[in-house]
Amino acid sequence: MDREVNFKRLAIAFSICVFFLYAGLVLSLFHFYKGPLFLETLCSARTLFSLKLSLITATTATAVSVFFAIPSAYALSRYRFFGSQVIDTILELPMIVSPVALGALILIFFNTPAGTFIQERGVQVVFTVYGILLAQFITTVGIATRLIKAAMDEIPARYEDVAKTLGASPAKAFFTVTLPLSRRSIIASAILTWAKALGEFGATITVAGSMAMKTETLPVAIFMRLASADIEGTAVLVLILLAIGLGLLYGVRLLAGRPSYV
Amino acid sequence: MPRIELRNISKHVLNDLNLIIEDKEVMALVGPNGAGKSTVLNVIAGLISYDGEVRFDGRKMDRTPPHRRGVGYLFQDLALFPHLTVAANIAYGLKVQGYEAGAIATRIDELTKALHIERLKERYPQSLSGGEKQRVAIARAVAPFQKILLLDEPTASLDPQTAKYLRAELGVLLKRLEITAVFVIHDLLGAEEIADRIAIIHKGRIEQVASPETIFFHPGTDVVSEFIGRPNILTCDQCRVLSSGLVEITSGDMRMVLPYEGDMIGKIAISPHDIYISNTKPPGPAINRYQAVVTEIVRHRSLVRVRVAIGKTSLVAELAEGIFDEMDIAEGREIYVVVKLRRLRYVESM
Repeated sequence: MDREVNFKRLAIAFSICVFFLYAGLVLSLFHFYKGPLFLETLCSARTLFSLKLSLITATTATAVSVFFAIPSAYALSRYRFFGSQVIDTILELPMIVSPVALGALILIFFNTPAGTFIQERGVQVVFTVYGILLAQFITTVGIATRLIKAAMDEIPARYEDVAKTLGASPAKAFFTVTLPLSRRSIIASAILTWAKALGEFGATITVAGSMAMKTETLPVAIFMRLASADIEGTAVLVLILLAIGLGLLYGVRLLAGRPSYV
Repeated sequence: MPRIELRNISKHVLNDLNLIIEDKEVMALVGPNGAGKSTVLNVIAGLISYDGEVRFDGRKMDRTPPHRRGVGYLFQDLALFPHLTVAANIAYGLKVQGYEAGAIATRIDELTKALHIERLKERYPQSLSGGEKQRVAIARAVAPFQKILLLDEPTASLDPQTAKYLRAELGVLLKRLEITAVFVIHDLLGAEEIADRIAIIHKGRIEQVASPETIFFHPGTDVVSEFIGRPNILTCDQCRVLSSGLVEITSGDMRMVLPYEGDMIGKIAISPHDIYISNTKPPGPAINRYQAVVTEIVRHRSLVRVRVAIGKTSLVAELAEGIFDEMDIAEGREIYVVVKLRRLRYVESM
């Protein structure tokens, strides 16, 4: 019994340690917090541009990622096909390869004949907003697919079998049964994907650069402020990013906490 | 309401299986676990690929996807859609097939009334009892005017009382809908209650397809005989009505009193489980109790089959090895036999 109590206390102590680690880091921001500077930095044209650019690109990249992730996740969850194992493994690429390396991969691609052709005849990607979108998309689509696949794995394929025997085509069974049942998990996955896209830095700066009022997203702006030793300004931007991130995570918690259908 | 033909079906355990289910017939697939019963249903529904041919009214269905086969399927786990109310679950098939709202409402009313679930229409499946879920699943499966209904262990998850009640209702509903139905069931007694014919499946092949009576009184193969528990078949030489619902029959040197509503029994089948043997004279009235001599003892897995002779009439009793070992029984020894009238089956004489 004593051992059990001790083990419980030890485990709780570890969790409190982790909390204080992060809480200490966040609280240290307030050491440099100055009320007037906060408003001034927040309302500056450059910060507002970064904020707007980050929100637009993260939202667009998330929408595209989820659009690709839902059918991919469904295929990987329901069917065994040639190469499905390889696809499943490669989804983890953004998790095991550093974002800078992913950005480098994108840059290298645009230096190949195919990439050059796209840039010359199609869309200029490198050092433009499209570069930000692509970098965010590449770093999030694998994670989004993995998260949505986990949600779909939880829904028994039997529901679709029932729908089919009642006259629903496979597509109709998906849209009327599987999709509504996984809706909550898909929204939670989309929010996490959005948070990941919003905080994306390595691949973005590698592909799109750090041009103020052009390709400077919020994380890039933080880096630029820090590089010019503007700690107070950095603290303000970090606070904004933290507020958005924590707000979103709380939203995910609320969604995940609701009773599940399955 | 088609005739179903399965020709040379091979899939998983199924090995060159052939079966014909007549139009509007209720067919029970019975067999041990792993015999391939559920696979047969999945083949008919088109939910799995297979070798061989499936025909509905002579029309080949092998390339027809499940949603165009018109086959309703009541799965063992029911799989009611958890995000839809009872009414929406029942309406699902009608909606996806494009029925109008008025027709859908009428059909829901009709089926909920027939299955006594009108008051549950607005509830969600999570709040229903096992029996209620079963009824909703049946209503959903038949709602879109399916031509065929497949049922996988439709009452397996219910308590015996509810299961019996639901089986009776199901039997009435299937006849009323004039639908061709195939159901998988592990309990032979349950199969007998609603099936027109029973197909015994063993190791992926059909052993016998016949009426319940024929299965019990004329098992076609040794496997079938083993599966139905090798009943003792007694031919009645004489049958005398004692009072309303009670008859006395004579079979060889045995006289038995049985509950029976008719007046002429041709044959009776008694399961070896229902024949009790004892070294000592059992207490109680001497009805259906006999002195006998042990003629043969055969050990079969964890069971022991004891053949006894009552005069010239021979019966087989079956008991667990542990119980047998505690008794002092040997070939040639005199013992007492009691016939329990729990699961007797009769054939009326013509």
